[in-house]
Amino acid sequence: MKPVNFDYARPSEVASAIRYLAQDGVSAKIIAGGQSLGPMLNMRLVQPDLIVDITAIEELRSVQDRSDAIVIGACVSHSDIEDRRVPDVTRGAMASVASGIAYRAVRNRGTIGGSLTHADPSADWISILAALGADVTLNGSGGSRTIAVENYMVGALEADIAQSELLVSITVPKLSASARWGYYKSCRKTGEFAHAIGAFLTDPDRGVSRAVIGATETRPFVMTDAAALIGDGRNPERVFDQDAVGRLCESLGMTDPIDRQTHVVALRRAIERAH
Amino acid sequence: MKEQGVGASLPRKEDDRFLRGRGEYVADIRMAGMKDVAFLRSPLAHARVRGVHVPDAVRGQVFSAQDLKGVRPIVAVSGLAGFKPSEQPVLAHDKVRQVGELIAMCLADTRAQAEDVAAQVEADLEELPAVHDMLAARRPDSALLHEQWGDNVFLETFVDKNFEAALDAPIKVTRVISTARQSMAPLEGRGTVAFWDKRKEQLVLHTGSQMPHIVRTGLAECLGLEHGQVRIVSPDVGGGFGYKGILLPEDVCLGWLAMRCGHAVRWIEDRREHLTAGANCREHHYVITGYADRDGRLRGIDCEATVDSGAYSSYPFSACLEAAQVASILPGPYDFPSYRCRTWSVATNKCPILPYRGVARTGVCFALELVLDAIAREAGIEPHEVRMKNLVRPEQMPFDNITNKHFDSGDYPDALKRAMAAIDLDAIRARQQRPEPGGRLIGIGQAIYCEQGAHGTSVYAGWGIPMVPGHEQATARMTPDGGLELRIGAHSHGQSMETTMAQIAHEILGIDTGSIKVVHGDTEYTPYSTGTWGSRSAVMSGGAVATASRELGELAKGIGAHLLQAKREDVKLEAGFVVGPAGRVSLKEVARTWYLRPQDLPAGVDPRGLDTTIGYKPVRDSGTFSYAAHIAVVAVDPEIGDIEILDYVIVEDGGKLINPMVVDGQIYGGLAQGIGTALYEEMNFDTSGQPLASTFADYLLPGPTEVPAPRLEHMETLAPYTEFGVKGIGEGGAIAPPAAIGNAVNDALKGLGAELLHSPITPRRVLEAIANAATDPAKVGEAA
Amino acid sequence: MNTVSLIANGRKVSADVEPRTHLADFLRDTQNLTGTHLGCEHGVCGACTLLIDGAPARSCITFAVACENAEIITIEGLDDDEIAAELRAAFTREHGLQCGYCTPGMIVSARDVVMRLQEPSEHDIRVAMSGNLCRCTGYVGIIRAIQGVIEDRRARGIAAIPGGGRTSLGPAGAGRAGAVARASAAARIALKTDASETTPAPSHSASLSADWKPQMSFNQSFVVSHPVDDVWRFFGRIEDVASCLPGASLAGAPVSGHVQGRIRVKVGPISAEFQGAAEIDRDDATRTGRISGSGKDKRSGSATRGLVGYAVKPGENPGETRVDVSIGYTLTGMLAQFGRSGLVEDVASRLIKAFVANLEARLAHEARGGRSETLSLPVRELDAGSLISSVVFGRFRRLFARLFGRN
Repeated sequence: MKPVNFDYARPSEVASAIRYLAQDGVSAKIIAGGQSLGPMLNMRLVQPDLIVDITAIEELRSVQDRSDAIVIGACVSHSDIEDRRVPDVTRGAMASVASGIAYRAVRNRGTIGGSLTHADPSADWISILAALGADVTLNGSGGSRTIAVENYMVGALEADIAQSELLVSITVPKLSASARWGYYKSCRKTGEFAHAIGAFLTDPDRGVSRAVIGATETRPFVMTDAAALIGDGRNPERVFDQDAVGRLCESLGMTDPIDRQTHVVALRRAIERAH
Repeated sequence: MKEQGVGASLPRKEDDRFLRGRGEYVADIRMAGMKDVAFLRSPLAHARVRGVHVPDAVRGQVFSAQDLKGVRPIVAVSGLAGFKPSEQPVLAHDKVRQVGELIAMCLADTRAQAEDVAAQVEADLEELPAVHDMLAARRPDSALLHEQWGDNVFLETFVDKNFEAALDAPIKVTRVISTARQSMAPLEGRGTVAFWDKRKEQLVLHTGSQMPHIVRTGLAECLGLEHGQVRIVSPDVGGGFGYKGILLPEDVCLGWLAMRCGHAVRWIEDRREHLTAGANCREHHYVITGYADRDGRLRGIDCEATVDSGAYSSYPFSACLEAAQVASILPGPYDFPSYRCRTWSVATNKCPILPYRGVARTGVCFALELVLDAIAREAGIEPHEVRMKNLVRPEQMPFDNITNKHFDSGDYPDALKRAMAAIDLDAIRARQQRPEPGGRLIGIGQAIYCEQGAHGTSVYAGWGIPMVPGHEQATARMTPDGGLELRIGAHSHGQSMETTMAQIAHEILGIDTGSIKVVHGDTEYTPYSTGTWGSRSAVMSGGAVATASRELGELAKGIGAHLLQAKREDVKLEAGFVVGPAGRVSLKEVARTWYLRPQDLPAGVDPRGLDTTIGYKPVRDSGTFSYAAHIAVVAVDPEIGDIEILDYVIVEDGGKLINPMVVDGQIYGGLAQGIGTALYEEMNFDTSGQPLASTFADYLLPGPTEVPAPRLEHMETLAPYTEFGVKGIGEGGAIAPPAAIGNAVNDALKGLGAELLHSPITPRRVLEAIANAATDPAKVGEAA
Repeated sequence: MNTVSLIANGRKVSADVEPRTHLADFLRDTQNLTGTHLGCEHGVCGACTLLIDGAPARSCITFAVACENAEIITIEGLDDDEIAAELRAAFTREHGLQCGYCTPGMIVSARDVVMRLQEPSEHDIRVAMSGNLCRCTGYVGIIRAIQGVIEDRRARGIAAIPGGGRTSLGPAGAGRAGAVARASAAARIALKTDASETTPAPSHSASLSADWKPQMSFNQSFVVSHPVDDVWRFFGRIEDVASCLPGASLAGAPVSGHVQGRIRVKVGPISAEFQGAAEIDRDDATRTGRISGSGKDKRSGSATRGLVGYAVKPGENPGETRVDVSIGYTLTGMLAQFGRSGLVEDVASRLIKAFVANLEARLAHEARGGRSETLSLPVRELDAGSLISSVVFGRFRRLFARLFGRN
């Protein structure tokens, strides 16, 4: 189980990475930690001409602390967040979720940007960052653009990224002291992919109330105004309407009743176990 | 130095090299000029091979069936009446009958490059309808794998013991029960490194094998070599579990190539090959009916069992061992008067099966024990009461059961009693009446089995497969410095035999285990043996080592007596010394005398010196019968379908334990695999025979959070026929967990009317069973 | 070839390897450090776990070339390590190993757990060790050994080091070396060129035997705002129909109902190109048709067979046409051999949506008198957003989820 041969480049600047990606007639793939691409290469599911390793680009391995948000470079690893080498502005949400991604040895190399760009519906970052209201910033030959994380993922394994674009950072808003968040994922075994994810955030001081149903067959279902559904994130038994959420899932294409049940329960438990 | 002998939890001699990464597995062998092999394998489950197209650029690096002239197919027959043999081609020529079947062997400097070569070779295949379902395969309109058979059945067996007498029983419970196909998944896959030894004119083939001598026989037959021209070396082996108990076509291919190419060649199975192309196991289907009286006494069992044997009869165990074994072991540890069982070993377009840890027992135990609990529910009594009424009683031992199995010893009811005593049943029943946090449901389940091990000649002669165990031999040989070499034909790949065999020799000779070297895994240096399988090595190789050590002791006493100027009959062996009436002489001194100072030996000294090879058979070779009671307490989450094991109790009787720490380890490891069978592991196929798990992300192995630390208690009822009273226990841990956990889940869900009858019990199956029970109570028992 | 230099067990080593060489093979094959074992080569089993710049990482999915200048410690490099020595003694005492194959990775991960976790519960240790699979021991001895070492060290006043003392951000091992320009791999195999341009399309028949049953099947209906005769005529022009299917193209015009072509599909980083042939049947009387086809993706050794049936009938409103489509297909080979997905209906629906969008656009364009080559179809590529996954890729979603949802 060995990859096909490929060429390798390791630029030290975003611009030069983009130049590699923009070459015509070359199937180039970006690699960061390689924890998703590596297996696919080994299995020859992916057979690129060129691998562009972006981990030597310093700005992608850095973090900027702004007044209202923190900007995390795309190559920051899951364990960087788990260990809080990245300052926590999410009342522990990101560190907690990071610690549940796959296994420690994977978290030591896997990156937040790689995970988002891989656009796996079952991955953790897409769901929790959608709940937190994060944005992603991409650079390309045409300039830079910033979009909401839930819009970055357009479908299973498809991110809104052009061949010559590079995800450079993730902007996570700072939560207020009164914010509450919850996250629940259902896996058959530790470190295994999620069959259902529920996530929510209420931040009354900032007027934010978001809920996410993730690990669907496609992009997560994101409710950007979820106040009616989750209330203040307390006492879900009073507010949370299981049937309504089930109908919502069905309307979004989740036809299998067991899938629906599992996802609805995941969101309810996320609220029950809020922090 | 008693703490090193039989019964001591001696730390393992093999640990240090493994803990420092100094083990040597097949893939670690380095040879100058060695090249790598990758195979082009069939992407289709069933197809006619119209041709193999090799591009000019790689000609000379690619070998297909037409190159392997004179190589015979792998044939594993059974002597059972009506068995239809298959021919497993080494490289496919006429048809392919499973995904992953070998089509071409591709050679290059590295594995990556060999895969590049394989990617350029194209097989022209004409797809044929795939036989993917063993029940459908039995129907007359099914496509055929082996056309000359006229059907897809390797073997059908039937046994009827006074079955009619059970029919008027007041309780009759029928269930359709099945276990998923599994992959054995040792952490190390298969692998082969082969070269032709010019000096010895001998093919040397390193392959991770549980049975190097059997591989030699099979390989010699396929390649048309004399046994003396083949040497099999099985180095450190990263787990076997049955998977490394067969001759692979890959072994034959590499052997053929090594004889011709002038350099060493290597093939290392990767995980995808293991999961999609290597042998599988465990796929059973039962339609089983239990007949009982109102008090739970069993009147009879009726069963139709089908085993999916895959495309070919694998060497040496054959395609029929498993199903035929079902018929003989289904009665389990119970005594009842009527029995009927029909079995089919069915050929399908899947990998061949081979006996995985527990062989047919895991499926049999699952089927029978689930039915016993169903009978208990029907009768309205506790499940353990049903078992107590039917278990063979200690005063019946030794006991010949309804299928003529000779249970050698033990107290089965006591094992169950002890296990029940470890669990507070009343507290659990009370807890079940109260709501649990999160709405979880608590259940308790039990299972009890007996495990035949160390099957002897009388058992295997009847199967008529290529391999019948006879006397097991061992060599005991002192070295000039007073150390001891033990040579055994079995292979240790986790079983700790480098330690336990030394303990046995120490028990008899008193030589420090640190100075005892166990040699295994090389046909050149070890006595012939059928190898390591069927929970036999501790009994058979252990018995052989004991016998050889005693014989060696006698030889040493002869020399020692002379050195002590004592009479032969006045000396004894004690703690590494020959002790006479007036003094003692160490075995070291005895060895030095034999090897280095022969001038000091008496004229009539036994010319065998300090070197003996001798065979061993238990007093009666019908096998040892260890047994265990398992009890699981689980919590089922009826909203998500998760199952958590809250408590797990095992009471096991393995006879005398040579090294209790090692025995515990075998049971813990077996339990983990049993939990895999119960809850996680499943090799699915689609209707075109495509395997649907090619990674460990699809095929889930239990990890540290999925396996609890069980509470384990031993009984040590000595086996009457073996050295020290040892019984084989290597497989037992893997037998009962699916049944115990299945019964616990069903106990938890009984209030909802849901019943799980298919392993693994996945969250989806749990939720489906609950949903089915809610919408259609009549369907309970047929679902899943 | 790339020259890779790194520090292995304290020794500076360097070797020329292809960029595709993963770190485990680099160490095993060029440095004879065979203590690092390969158990799955997709990052799940943990047997290959070693330390990269002090942090445990999977050497089977980390390329050697990406570890330039990094410090690698394998099991062989832990002989004199204090924690490893304590673990070795504890593993022996607690019988934490049997066959020994998982053991090197186990020790490396265990060392990290001992170092990082201050007072873990047994469950915490199990969770922390969940990335290392053992098939022999049932984990009992392993967990006890680790727990024993931790308790012992804490009792001796040795505190845990949170995060293992790491300070830099980014993947372990990254950032130790500067830029490297694109370096060529060794001779690329011929296969890497587009197969369709170097080898003729397979000549095998596209027809399916009467008893062929698809692995997956579904039905879909849609309505287009065009008269039924136009739609029926349109469906007779297979090249136009094909052009509405994103990624599909024909090798030429159909000859007596037989046509050759290919469809390129792409899901995330994976792309495949199925080349094959199709047979077309049409019945003017019932306005029904069948397209049966088969194709092969040479790169993955995968193949697909499929059957599309369609019926064209008047819609509920005048000028509308209802089209009922039934699609069945079977996929074989490497691309098929993963867990099945529940996504198929969803993907199929998106496929049909894209097809309908294109069909609508084309019919509208023709109604305006436009020529087909001047039309720009709304959905041209089988990626980003629109319909993305081909139907045949539906079943992969689970695999990706399981295996790759964690970069």
